[in-house]
Amino acid sequence: MTDDNLRRWLGGVADELIPAGDGMPAATEAGVAGGQLDLVLAVRPDLARALNRAWALAGEHEPAPALRLLADLDPRAHQALLEIVSGGYYTSSLVRRLLNYTGQQPVPVRPEDHPAYLAEGLLDRVVERGPVHRDPDSLSRRQ
Amino acid sequence: MEHADVLVVGAGASGGVVTGALADAGFDVVCLEQGHWPDRTDFPALRPTYELEARGGWGGNPTLRGKPEDYPVNETGSDIATLMYNGVGGSMVLYAADWPRLLPSDFRTRSLDGVGDDWPLSYRDLQPFYERTDRAFGVSGLAGDTALPPGAEFPLPPLPIGDGALRMARAHDRLKWHWWPAPNAVLSRPYQGRNACAHYGSCMQGCPEGAKASTDVTHWPNAIKAGARLITGARVSRILTDARGLAIGAEYVDTEGRWHVIKADVVVLAANSVGTARILLNSASPRFPDGLANSSGLVGKRLMVHPFANVTGYFDEPVDAGGHVGAKIVSYEYYETDPDRDFVRGAKWSLAPTGGPLNAALPSRAGNSVWGKDHHAHVRGHLGHSLSWCIFGEDLPDEANRVEIDDSLTDSSGIPAPKVTYRVGENSRRLLDFNIERAQQSFAEAGARRTAVESLMRFSGWHLLGTARMGDDPATSVVDGWGRAHDVPNLYIADGSVFVTSGAVNPTSTIVSLALRNTEHLIENRREQRIPG
Ligand SMILES: Cc1cc2nc3c(=O)[nH]c(=O)nc-3n(C[C@H](O)[C@H](O)[C@H](O)COP(=O)(O)OP(=O)(O)OC[C@H]3O[C@@H](n4cnc5c(N)ncnc54)[C@H](O)[C@@H]3O)c2cc1C
Ligand code: SF4
Repeated sequence: MTDDNLRRWLGGVADELIPAGDGMPAATEAGVAGGQLDLVLAVRPDLARALNRAWALAGEHEPAPALRLLADLDPRAHQALLEIVSGGYYTSSLVRRLLNYTGQQPVPVRPEDHPAYLAEGLLDRVVERGPVHRDPDSLSRRQ
Repeated sequence: MEHADVLVVGAGASGGVVTGALADAGFDVVCLEQGHWPDRTDFPALRPTYELEARGGWGGNPTLRGKPEDYPVNETGSDIATLMYNGVGGSMVLYAADWPRLLPSDFRTRSLDGVGDDWPLSYRDLQPFYERTDRAFGVSGLAGDTALPPGAEFPLPPLPIGDGALRMARAHDRLKWHWWPAPNAVLSRPYQGRNACAHYGSCMQGCPEGAKASTDVTHWPNAIKAGARLITGARVSRILTDARGLAIGAEYVDTEGRWHVIKADVVVLAANSVGTARILLNSASPRFPDGLANSSGLVGKRLMVHPFANVTGYFDEPVDAGGHVGAKIVSYEYYETDPDRDFVRGAKWSLAPTGGPLNAALPSRAGNSVWGKDHHAHVRGHLGHSLSWCIFGEDLPDEANRVEIDDSLTDSSGIPAPKVTYRVGENSRRLLDFNIERAQQSFAEAGARRTAVESLMRFSGWHLLGTARMGDDPATSVVDGWGRAHDVPNLYIADGSVFVTSGAVNPTSTIVSLALRNTEHLIENRREQRIPG
C-alpha cells in the first residue's frame, strides 16, 4: 500500500507540516516518507488504514489544501497523518541528536542524603505552617 | 471439577494482595485472570518508538487497545473514558505509581461537609495497613507531610525531585502554599531483590526494570511459592450460586473458547470497579434478578473516576523533570473544604514531567500543536522546558454515574460488555476551575512564560471507584465494612468498587490497604464463615 505515489504525496504533506528551519531538517530529509514510514507502520499498523483513507480523500490535492480538506472531512485520518509524520520525525536518530534528546537512557537514581529543598529549609517552613488537613477527631486545621 | 477454598477473580492490585495473604495463611486459593503475565522484555521503554506505541497498543483504554484479553466498554455516554490493563499485575502495569493516602476527612465527608457518605472505618483504622503495604510494595517517600497525621517512615528515601520541581517548591514557599516530595511506589534503591528506578520515564507503558511496584513483581511470585494457583487467560462470565443463595464458584472461558466451572467455598471479586460491577450484573439469576448482591440496587451505581484537569507551564530556561512519570511533588493546599468557596471538597495536585519529543509535537495533555515554520520553535519551547500540574478533583458519589450491561456489545468471548454513563457534576466543575486558576498562579510565581490549560481530560479514567459501596445498612450499600456482600455471605469484593467516596487522591494505596485489612479479617473469622454445603 505504501507505493511511490503515496510516499511522494505524504512527503509533500510532511514537509508542509515540518519544513526545514531553525537548524532542523525537513520531514522528508529525516526519512518520514521513506524508512521512517515503514518503522511507524510496523509499530502502529492501525495508522495504515487512516493513511490510506487520507490519501484516497486528499491525494490529488497540494499539501496545504489537502490538510485543510482532511481536517474537515475526516478528522481521524487527519490526526493519524499528524501522528505518522511527527512519529516518523521524532523517532529519527538524526532529529533526536539535533534536539539533544537523551531520554529513555538508563540513569541510576541517586537519592541524595540532603536534597536542596532540605538544605534551603523549604520543608521546615511547610511544617511550621502546620497541618493542612482537617482531622475529624480534633478538627484542627491551619487557618 | 476443580475446587478451591477461595476463588479470587482478577490478578491486579487487590487480587494480588488478597491471594498472597490467603496463600500465606494456608488457604488453597485459585485466581482466575483474563489476561496474561506481562512480558517485561516486550515493554516499549527502550525502543525509540516508545512514545508512538504509547498512543497505540500500549495505551490505557481497553476499547481502543482491543487486545483479545481486553473487554470493550461503551462510553459514548461518558465525559471520561476508562483506562485499565488486563493481565497479571492489573492496571498497576500501566499506572504512574503515585502513592498517596486518603486524608482523614475523606472518610467523613457527610459529617464534615454534608455531602457523600461517611465510611464505616476511619483513617486511623487503615493507617497500620497503609504502613504495611508501603513496605510490601516498596514505597519511596519522606515522612512528615502536613497533609496527613504523623506516622511511620517510608521504607525507602524519596526519589529525587529534579530542578523543575525544586523551582515549583520555591514558588510555593513564597506563596506559603503546601507542597511535599511525593511518595511513589517506585524504588529509589534496590529493595527485596528488585532493581532501583533507572529513569526511563516510561512507567505508564510498563517498567522494564521492575522498579515500579505492581503485584506481578511484588506479590504474585511469593503467592505462587506459597501454593496459590493462578490461571491466566481465564475470563469469568458469572458467579454461580446455590439454592441457599451462597456463591459456589464461577463459570469462565479460556483463550481457546472452552468453558469451565470452578467451585469454591468463598469467592472474592477483584476485577476493578468496572469489571466487578459487570460480573455481578451478568450474574443475574431468578433468585437475584437484578444482578448478584444487588438488593440495594446500587451495584454499578455511584461510579467515581476523579475528574482530571491539567495545567502546563512553559519556562524560558530548561527545567529538568526527568525520571519516573509519577508526581515529583504534591500540593494539598486546596484539598479541604473552605466555606468561602462555591464548592465543597477539593483537589490534589501532582507535579509531573511532560514527556519526550513526540509529546512536545502532539501533546497528550494541556498544550497545543504548531505546524509549519514555527513548529521547531514550538517543540523546543516544550521539550525540557515545561512542567505539568495534574489536578485530581474529588468526585462526589452520584447514582446517575454508573456501569451497566450494554444491550448489544460483547467481548471477544461473547460475554456482555459494560456501558459507562458518567457526567462531571457541577461541584466538580467549580472545583476544577478554581484549582486551574490557582495552578496558573503557581506557575506564574515560578516564572513560567505562559501556561496551557486542559479543563477536563477525556482519557483520564485511571481511577475506577465506587460501584459496590461499603456500608453498614444493606438498603444503602452492597458490602459491609469488611467487604462482604450483604446479600451473599461468602462473596467478598476487594477492589476499588467498595469506596464510599472518592477523596481526590490516586487510590491504589487505599485499595490495597483495604484489601489487606479485609482479607485478614476474613482469615481471622474463618470459623464463622458460612460456606456452601
Ligand atoms: C494509566 C494508568 C495510570 C494510573 N496511575 C495511578 C497512580 O499513579 N496511582 C494510583 O494510585 N493509581 C493509578 N492508577 C490506578 C490503579 O492502577 C488502579 O487503582 C489499581 O490497579 C486498581 O486495582 P484493582 O485491583 O481494583 O483492579 P486492577 O488492577 O485493574 O485489576 C483488575 C484485574 O481483573 C481482571 N479481570 C477483570 N474482569 C475479569 C473477568 N471477568 N475475568 C477474569 N479477570 C478479570 C483484569 O484483567 C485485571 O487484571 C492508574 C491506572 C492507569 C490505567
Ligand atoms: S522511570 Fe523508573 S519506574 Fe519508571 S519505567 Fe523507568 S525504571 Fe521504571
